[in-house]
Amino acid sequence: MPTQQPSDDRIALLQGTLDLLILRTLLLGACHGQGVARSIQRQSEEVLFVDHGSLYLALQRLEDKKWIRARWGVSENNRRARFYELTPKGRDQLAEKTSQWNRLTEAMARILNAAGPQNEEV
Amino acid sequence: MFRRRRRSESDFAEEVRAHLELEADDLRQEGVSSDEARFQAHRTFGNVRAAQESFYLRGRWAWLDRLLRDLRFGLRSMRQSPGFTLTAVLTLALGIGANTAVFSVMNAVLLRSLPVADPQRVVYLQDSGSPNGTGTIDSHETFSYAVYTALRPPNGALSDLMAVGLLSTDKIGVRIGSIPEQAEADMVSGNFFSGLGVRILRGRGFTPQDESTNASVLVLSYDYWTGRFDRDPNVLGSTIFVKGVPFTVTGIADQGFEGVEPTHSTDFWIPLQNRLEFNVLGNPPEKGKLYQADPTWWCLRLIGRLAPGVSRQQAIARLQPVFEHASRIGLGNPMPGEHPVVLSVTDAKNFGGDYADQYGKPLHMLMAMVGLVLLIALTNLIMLLMARNAARQREFSLRLALGARPAELLRQLLTESVLLVLLGGALAWAFAVLASHVLARWALIESSLAPDRTVLLFTCAVLALSAIVLGVAPFRTAISGGAELALKTSAATAHTDAGKSRLGKSIVALQMALCMVLLVGAGLLTRTLVNLRNIPLGMNTTGIVVFGLNPQSAHANPQLARFYQDLRTRLRALPGVESTAVSSDRLGSWWSNNSDVMVDGKHGDAPDGSTVLVRMNDIGPNFFHTLQVPILLGREFTDADGTSEHHVAVVNQLFAQTFFPHESPLGHKVNDFTIVGVVANHKYRSMDETPIPMAWWDYAQGPGEGGMTVEMRVRGADPLSILPSVQKIVAQLDPNAPLIEPTLQRQQFERTISQQLLFARLAEFFGLLAIVLVATGLYGTLSYRVNRRTAEIGVRMAIGARRGQVLWMILRDSLILTAIGVVVGLPLAWLTGRALASSLYGVQPLDPLTYLLSILGVALVALAAGALPALRAASIDPLQALRTE
Repeated sequence: MPTQQPSDDRIALLQGTLDLLILRTLLLGACHGQGVARSIQRQSEEVLFVDHGSLYLALQRLEDKKWIRARWGVSENNRRARFYELTPKGRDQLAEKTSQWNRLTEAMARILNAAGPQNEEV
Repeated sequence: MFRRRRRSESDFAEEVRAHLELEADDLRQEGVSSDEARFQAHRTFGNVRAAQESFYLRGRWAWLDRLLRDLRFGLRSMRQSPGFTLTAVLTLALGIGANTAVFSVMNAVLLRSLPVADPQRVVYLQDSGSPNGTGTIDSHETFSYAVYTALRPPNGALSDLMAVGLLSTDKIGVRIGSIPEQAEADMVSGNFFSGLGVRILRGRGFTPQDESTNASVLVLSYDYWTGRFDRDPNVLGSTIFVKGVPFTVTGIADQGFEGVEPTHSTDFWIPLQNRLEFNVLGNPPEKGKLYQADPTWWCLRLIGRLAPGVSRQQAIARLQPVFEHASRIGLGNPMPGEHPVVLSVTDAKNFGGDYADQYGKPLHMLMAMVGLVLLIALTNLIMLLMARNAARQREFSLRLALGARPAELLRQLLTESVLLVLLGGALAWAFAVLASHVLARWALIESSLAPDRTVLLFTCAVLALSAIVLGVAPFRTAISGGAELALKTSAATAHTDAGKSRLGKSIVALQMALCMVLLVGAGLLTRTLVNLRNIPLGMNTTGIVVFGLNPQSAHANPQLARFYQDLRTRLRALPGVESTAVSSDRLGSWWSNNSDVMVDGKHGDAPDGSTVLVRMNDIGPNFFHTLQVPILLGREFTDADGTSEHHVAVVNQLFAQTFFPHESPLGHKVNDFTIVGVVANHKYRSMDETPIPMAWWDYAQGPGEGGMTVEMRVRGADPLSILPSVQKIVAQLDPNAPLIEPTLQRQQFERTISQQLLFARLAEFFGLLAIVLVATGLYGTLSYRVNRRTAEIGVRMAIGARRGQVLWMILRDSLILTAIGVVVGLPLAWLTGRALASSLYGVQPLDPLTYLLSILGVALVALAAGALPALRAASIDPLQALRTE
């Protein structure tokens, strides 16, 4: 069965982080799904890998929550595509989620870095 | 609003399509070739269908939706193969139904407690054997009224002590309107319902005052109220004549409570009475004393409710001294070497200890047998499913190729098996309800054996297990083809691997072994039944009609004797009646009167000095003539004996041989009776009893018996058709006396082997079921294999194999499996035979005939089931077989 496996140096997204990345990407302006995927991969310098199936489900989820809204439009290379943009509610959420994320990563980093020397003693 | 307008799936599909195009555009710009770009876009997107599926399921009650779709699909695929569905559902229904039926009998007989409040605290009182010099109904389970009154005052052991007195060994005569009828009734202590915690549905139960005043009140059982009175609420306050005495209906007991008599369902209860008509068992008073005044008549069953916080041991410890004292009342000093009687208690089960013993072992055996049947049924279904799923392998492969996950296939298979099992289960339940009624009738059990909640739980557990087994087992076959198989074109190239067909073969061999076990079991039990039925009774039962009579117009001799003499004269005048007789105990009813005797003034001992127990019966004139029991010496009783002061007795041959080995017993004395005749040995209590010394007294010379049995030899094909005319004659003599349990003497005797009859019938049925199941299973497997090998057989025939060889090739397969099955089955069958040994009569557990027939049976099944597929294989046209390739 054809399945795509992320190559070793790429990281599959953690649960829940995809929403944040989508919101952040859309902060730069309206974009279609494929563009969002490419943008995330490009900006992470190909470290993050976006499963496209999950991406569209996430987009739909955010749309259902009214954090983003969508309309059909035409891409720069003249293809019909569904464009997503942030709603005011989405903007608020982005700010909140970003600060949450930062607190989380800082805390994680503190723990992980502090644990290092102890482990080496073993 | 439950859900706002949804975005359509086609809109989503279009978005995905757009994505793929955009991605391909980007790739092309990055220099990837046009075709490669499209392919790569698809590949990086992953499973488009899965994404669409997820989109579709978003926000729905996904599991419900999936379940509905699986169910729809399952039903559709069941409709597509109705033959398979029917076979599977019927197999399940029979397999599970048989288990449910047997379990519900086992539940009712061995497991179920009395339907009373807090049944764990309710116990039956038992003792180690009533003291010498007492008469009992059951030497371990019945007590004197004196013991009852001694144990009744609270002493911290029991919070309630209930007493039950049987009014008769069978049913009693009641009259509700003008026609007398029979009913099952007990007299009970005033605290019977309150102490047991049986709810009174309408009206009121009994009170201690009802007992002490011998009140003429009556409580109906729910079933009797339903069956006899059509649940008429106005029955409260109405009058029922019980043995001719008017009683007022004051209450109706709760549904489900059928009394405390094992296998019987009590119709109504009255408070303990102290009057002639209601002496226990309808006996005449002993030396002028009724049961309440006679401490030597141990005739009451006692039921206790343990006081709160008191264990059984504590209760017995407190009761034993009181009991020991009470047990000696009216008996004087114990005989030398006589041990004090020890009290004990036992669970208040629906069926008392004797019944549990009697039915326990055979029921466990039956349960094991139906378990085997279920095993065969399930393995059959697994094979069927495997064959079917192998045929569906291309369907599964296609679905895997289209992106279905294995888990989804498993879910689908489970759904299909659940559907099958549910259908089968519903049918099984209906079958079991029906079967338990039939079983109860066969076993002559009046108490309800109908499945209850415990049985439902059991059945659900079996169903769940079956569903899982049937869903999971074929799963490997289903996915073993993998997605690639979808690309292959022919059924023959999609070859079964050797391992799987080995599994199929071992299942068939296992089934053959189990079938063998069931056949041997059924054979042994059937031969037992045949042997039992062929036991010579020592009499000619052709045309003998028997019925009980409990006249209310007379209660003692000489009135009673005159009543029966009058009755016999009138009955003999009926056309077709050749001869009539009366006896106190009915032959073949399990009841008998046993005692030691004095022979010529000395205690009747065997030559080795041990006491000889003699069975006795009070009979009237013409008894042996009516039953055509040969009179070997002397004569039987005549009407003249009834009025004579000269007390006479008749003994049987064994009695004569035991006490008078070297001389004629005529003229000698048994107790105070002079022996005037010797008759040939014949059966008394039951068909399978061994001969025992017997003595008969003339009933007209005794105090008279309340209830008697009338025997009459009737000409004609249907002797029982005489009953309406008999009823008319009895009504002329006593309007309150119905004919009690009228039947044929032969049937009466067959009741004593009803248990063996039941088990043999069931074993035969299970054996037959096993044969049918195994045959269909084998047939299915072989035809499936022939199907699969069509091409191979075609090639064989093309290069010169003859039809006979092909035929033999397939048949040989089935016979080899049978041989293996028989070899494996033999030791199992031997074990079964040994376990059955105690239930066998006149046949050895290793009966060669049974084994031979069983092996033959299994071989026949194998041949019959193999014949069709083999013939089909032999008729394969090689050209056609190869062309389909």
